Amino acid sequence: MAASEQTTDANTNVPEYEYPDVNTKPFHIGSFKKEWLSRLKPSDYSYEEADEDAFHANFAREMGVSAETMAELKAVCSVDSLRCHPEDQQPDTEVVPPDPTLRTLVQRKERQDHRASLKKIKKNRHDLYADELERLTIGRKPETVTDMVPEGEIILTINVYYPAVFDKFNYIRPHMTLLMTGSHSLAELRDAVCCVSDLQVCGEFSNTPDVAPEFISKDHYKSAFFFFEGVFYNDMRFPECQDISSTTIEWAKSHNFPSYSQAKMEDTLLEDLKVKVGFPYLYCHQGDCEHLVIITDVRLAHKNDCLDKNLYPLLTHKHRVLTQKCAVCHVFIGRWYTTNDQFAPSDPCLFCDKCFRMLHYDAQGNKLGEFLAYPYVDRGAFN
Amino acid sequence: MDFCGKQVKADCEQLLKRFQRTQSVRFEIFARIWREMKFSQIFYGTVNHEKRKFSRLILDVASVFFLPPFSFQIRVGGLYLLYSLYQCQNASPSEQIRLALKDWVDVKTFEKDAIEAQHFDVVYILQQLMFCKAFHFTATPSLLTYNKKRKVERSPMHENFMERVSRPQELVNIELLEEMDNVHQHYENLKASTLSLTSAQQDPSVSLIRKNLVPQLRSTVVDFYNWQKRKDSVDEEEDSSEGPSSQQECSKRAGLLASIKSKAYGQAAEVSKSRRHRQVEVDFTSNEAPTLGRSRITKPSLKARTSENLHISGNLPVTTKNTTFPDLKHFTPVPALCAIPGLVLKKHAETGCI
Ligand SMILES: [Zn+2]
Ligand SMILES: [Zn+2]
Repeated sequence: MAASEQTTDANTNVPEYEYPDVNTKPFHIGSFKKEWLSRLKPSDYSYEEADEDAFHANFAREMGVSAETMAELKAVCSVDSLRCHPEDQQPDTEVVPPDPTLRTLVQRKERQDHRASLKKIKKNRHDLYADELERLTIGRKPETVTDMVPEGEIILTINVYYPAVFDKFNYIRPHMTLLMTGSHSLAELRDAVCCVSDLQVCGEFSNTPDVAPEFISKDHYKSAFFFFEGVFYNDMRFPECQDISSTTIEWAKSHNFPSYSQAKMEDTLLEDLKVKVGFPYLYCHQGDCEHLVIITDVRLAHKNDCLDKNLYPLLTHKHRVLTQKCAVCHVFIGRWYTTNDQFAPSDPCLFCDKCFRMLHYDAQGNKLGEFLAYPYVDRGAFN
Repeated sequence: MDFCGKQVKADCEQLLKRFQRTQSVRFEIFARIWREMKFSQIFYGTVNHEKRKFSRLILDVASVFFLPPFSFQIRVGGLYLLYSLYQCQNASPSEQIRLALKDWVDVKTFEKDAIEAQHFDVVYILQQLMFCKAFHFTATPSLLTYNKKRKVERSPMHENFMERVSRPQELVNIELLEEMDNVHQHYENLKASTLSLTSAQQDPSVSLIRKNLVPQLRSTVVDFYNWQKRKDSVDEEEDSSEGPSSQQECSKRAGLLASIKSKAYGQAAEVSKSRRHRQVEVDFTSNEAPTLGRSRITKPSLKARTSENLHISGNLPVTTKNTTFPDLKHFTPVPALCAIPGLVLKKHAETGCI
């Protein structure tokens, strides 16, 4: 459909800044990929290790230099010529060297000395987790060729931010980061976003605690949309889905706003999108749970990427929030929220599933005493 | 990781500043400075996932110097810096160098210039990076998270890393002036003959031609060039903390720097091809003014094109007897058309480092 449009002005698909270092002008992801591929040799983005001797022979031929010169060139440009320590001494690269002169090292030393003086060598949980994710994802190869991310495929990095909570001013906006390929659909992005409001259980279940966990919001309120560059992409996969964007579109029309259009989430691949990199867009679900979505990076796949298609969408960062623990055992995450509860130390009160049942029901599962119980999903449930 | 961005940038600039002082584009020279500064150590002491974050940061910082608007020599330094950082990083597998689509053309032009000047080490290192898949082919130079900067800090160092602006001199070169004068004269004649036909001779209200257009243009560019030179030498004086301090020596140094570009290329080209990636000794003791080069001719001259166009179009005033089309071949340059100083062949100026 837009093919003819794109060929008339191909340069619009070479991303340019709209605001320098903040966000780009809109461009078509698939055409951007084509622009890159038309400039590169297939060997430039191939996953294969190329032959070094062939590279050198080729270089010598193209530059018209002798074998002798080539050997000299290799020696001059070798990594060895960058070695900053005697050949027979392996330095300890894990510590900042003593008496550094580089400003980066002076600062790093100061920080490390300061940290050591605090004596609390506690490893940040976030750091541990980042290591974990990194180990899982980098350089993974699939078992079969058919599961391989094709060479020259687009890899997008997408940040999905949690709904703004203003209880704490925070520089680090909590978000999750996903890697996806250009051939993923927006519906797949939607399914990869984990938000507690999808798991929110509505209702009081003190009489039937075993029924509650089945009743999660995702099954009830399936409608959702993404909003990119004037287009609402609605999730219409299920019969009970509604086009929840139509209200907004109608409203915009009646208020003389620029007209918006609609498309289906499940029919739209990421490479079909025309978007700005770095620009905040919208994901809305559960009627009013709104997330900012920023595509922070678009590039060609590289041999060091996770190359197993099945592992995408790939979670590479997840903000970990503090979890509310059970008021009795202080160990497990709260699963039940009670009020008017004669057994509870406070009102309302949080219990883990085990403590809740032990305290409020007999061995046969009969309710003891009076209280109201609501299933509770912690914000840190996805940690 | 942002907390150390300033320090990382300062260290990179320090390395490039020292490289710039050598007036060389040889990797051998770069590697010597790298070792002297013990630059490999910049990765030491980062732990766990910090390694990858730090590699990302320093590669992003260094990439900037590989691209315009920096001078050819600084860009070579930037390339060497990227190569060295890429090879010495301690993230495993290695973090890639980001290359944005919009910058690709600059990299290819840079490569072409390096090939033409036979800077084999420059070409080799660039192709080596391509060969070991050191690049991510991206949409943007860095990841973007809609972080609006309060104020963009511009390093004073950056100005020293840039080539002096020379577009006006390049555009308004001697050939353009000749051609322009030619066309202008032709136009004047045409006007005059039209006037003589309508017998509205010497009517000042019809004289729509700007007199002395070409000499005016020329003197404007010369003024610009002189202003630029004056400004440069003032900057040099302010920067007198290092290097020669007397004004005479300063302007000498400025002249020296300018002459290197045009001169070095010529001399270095005489050196045996096979030694091009080795350091070349060039004698800078003579203090010549920048030599005047001729701009390269890539398309038929404006004169040729003008004459062609005029002959094709049939709208010439054929009724005029005494205004036969002036012979375009017959051309005498006006005395004012002498050379504009500082006009050097752009390509050589940019790649002309030793
Ligand atoms: Zn949500
Ligand atoms: Zn408990």
